[in-house]
Amino acid sequence: MLRVQNLSKEFRNGRGKATRTVHAVKNLSFQCEPGEIYGLLGPNGAGKTTTLRCLSTLIKPTSGNAWIDRYNVLEHGQMFRSKIGFLTTDMKLDGYFSPDYMMNWFGRLNKMQDSEIQQRKEKLFVDLKMTDFIHKKIDELSSGMKQKTAVAISLIHDPDVIIFDEPTNGLDIVTSKAVTDFLVDRAESGKIVILSTHNMTIAEKLCHRFGILVEGELKEEGTLSGIIEGSDWDNLEDVFFSYIMPDSTDGGEHV
Amino acid sequence: MFRDSFIILRKELRRMFTDRRLLFMLVVLPLVMLPLMYSFMGKANKTRMAEINSYSSRIAVCQGQGGGEVSDLFIESLSMLNAHIETAGPEQIDSLKQRVISKDIELLIVMPGDMNGDILDNTVLNFSIFYNSTGDYSNYAFDQVRSAFTAVNDAIVRLRLLESGMSEDMLKAYTINKYLAEDEISDLAEEGSVMGKLIGVMMPFFIVIYLFANSMKVGLDSVAGEKERGTLAMLLVNQVSRLSIVLGKMISVMVAAIVGAVSSAIGLKIASRYLIDMAGDSGASISEYTMGSTAILQFSIIVIPLAILISSLVLVVSTFARNVKEGQGMIMPVYIAVMVMGVTTMQTGDVPPQWMRMAPVFNSLVVLKDIFMQNALWSNVVFSLATSLLVSALFIFVTLKMFNDERVLFRI
Repeated sequence: MLRVQNLSKEFRNGRGKATRTVHAVKNLSFQCEPGEIYGLLGPNGAGKTTTLRCLSTLIKPTSGNAWIDRYNVLEHGQMFRSKIGFLTTDMKLDGYFSPDYMMNWFGRLNKMQDSEIQQRKEKLFVDLKMTDFIHKKIDELSSGMKQKTAVAISLIHDPDVIIFDEPTNGLDIVTSKAVTDFLVDRAESGKIVILSTHNMTIAEKLCHRFGILVEGELKEEGTLSGIIEGSDWDNLEDVFFSYIMPDSTDGGEHV
Repeated sequence: MFRDSFIILRKELRRMFTDRRLLFMLVVLPLVMLPLMYSFMGKANKTRMAEINSYSSRIAVCQGQGGGEVSDLFIESLSMLNAHIETAGPEQIDSLKQRVISKDIELLIVMPGDMNGDILDNTVLNFSIFYNSTGDYSNYAFDQVRSAFTAVNDAIVRLRLLESGMSEDMLKAYTINKYLAEDEISDLAEEGSVMGKLIGVMMPFFIVIYLFANSMKVGLDSVAGEKERGTLAMLLVNQVSRLSIVLGKMISVMVAAIVGAVSSAIGLKIASRYLIDMAGDSGASISEYTMGSTAILQFSIIVIPLAILISSLVLVVSTFARNVKEGQGMIMPVYIAVMVMGVTTMQTGDVPPQWMRMAPVFNSLVVLKDIFMQNALWSNVVFSLATSLLVSALFIFVTLKMFNDERVLFRI
């Protein structure tokens, strides 16, 4: 189980008297169970990526904490990372090497045995339909192939929690479907998947529960039906807009 | 921890030694640059000297009144030169000076007003010679005429002394090495140490330059480049400690630095034959220079920690910089400072000042010089090793601090 408790993150910009504190994430709490796909929704600057970066241990929360089983981000960084597979749009792979080489390399860094890496690699290559290009240089691959490679590498160690930020961003419909189908399959096999996305269609289709984040605060959380039933809207997109652009929606109140 | 560092190192080395362009920059360039540079300089120098020697100088001579034995001797000495002599009257002096300025002629010799003297008259003839120091041919002609006139002067003085019944030896109070036995050599430097001195002056400079240059080529890309491309974050979210990442990257930069230094050392050894040709020093021979096992051990003890120091310094800058371009801007003043250190050490005499023995980098360069001259003291070797490792540890600590500081690592 993943548990995020009172997670806050502040950034200080500027120096001296001109220092300005930006509260990127405010007291965020949520939790996810195995087999669940949790969608973290919000506009740009809402704090989604910052939240995910805290969960990846790339940055430290200012306060609060997050646990996977008995490991937390503040005290057990390395063990916490062994439980997660993390990918954001600004993370790239060294284009000089092939997907096959990079899979081996990241596998070894994740303390896996060579035989274990081989087995895992073969499965991921088939599941993500990568077998045609595993020996080509990453620089020579299309953006869809690169994204599949990045997904495969982030999951080489078979993590319990998969945290992806906009995993289908910029992908064509075929690759996008391959990636989303793969994530559904992972959830069905008992993994926790946390997705951050702008794409409401994909969110509605994939996620079991949602959290709507606005200006660093969790404004709404629940299942799709629960959120819609408790609001004056009949779809997730309208509920989402009612939070981020309250003046542009027609009347009604939201919960 | 070391296992992870080794995994990171292997990938960095694989990249380094399979990327042809990078390999050329790191290995081939330091190896061929010095021999190419010196052979080109040597050839250009020889061609220039041959050209000057075969050149027929244009010399204008303003003759004085009359003529006698002395006058004949000087004129005759001029005729022995490879020169075209043009005679002129005193009224043309100003226009001839203008021709020297405009390099139309190389030299103007104004003979004394009265040239009627006899060899045995103890008179002093006052010549004026005008030349143009900005012209190679003019300088060469001036030297030729001066040595021709000096020979005439010596001959006249000898005749005058003999005529007055004195031996020319009375002009000499001493001689040096005139009566050495045929097989006796005055330069008692140990075999190979002449070449050692030549190498010792130049090698530390080139070693530090290539240690730094190769560290920059690999080190700036290693962290700043990875930050810029977004590949560093991919590494950071895996089960690897930041210390392992720093160590793995630092060792890979160090390997690149050492490869460059060794290539440049081999290159300099090849180049030194051209250097000796240029210097015209027949006493020193590259083939007679060898390093003993102690010198090789001392060399390794100095160069490896120096490579660690420079690599860790480059890594500090690379970690702090937002991108490679910013890193290059930051590292340039450091590179210039290291070059100045190299030049300063090159110009230091046999006994360097005490502060140079104490200061990191400086002391390594001074000891390297001692090693090539085969007179390095173990105490100096050990002190340099200790200071290099101490400063490296400080740089690694600072890099690690920055790796744990998200404001440095993820600032855009």
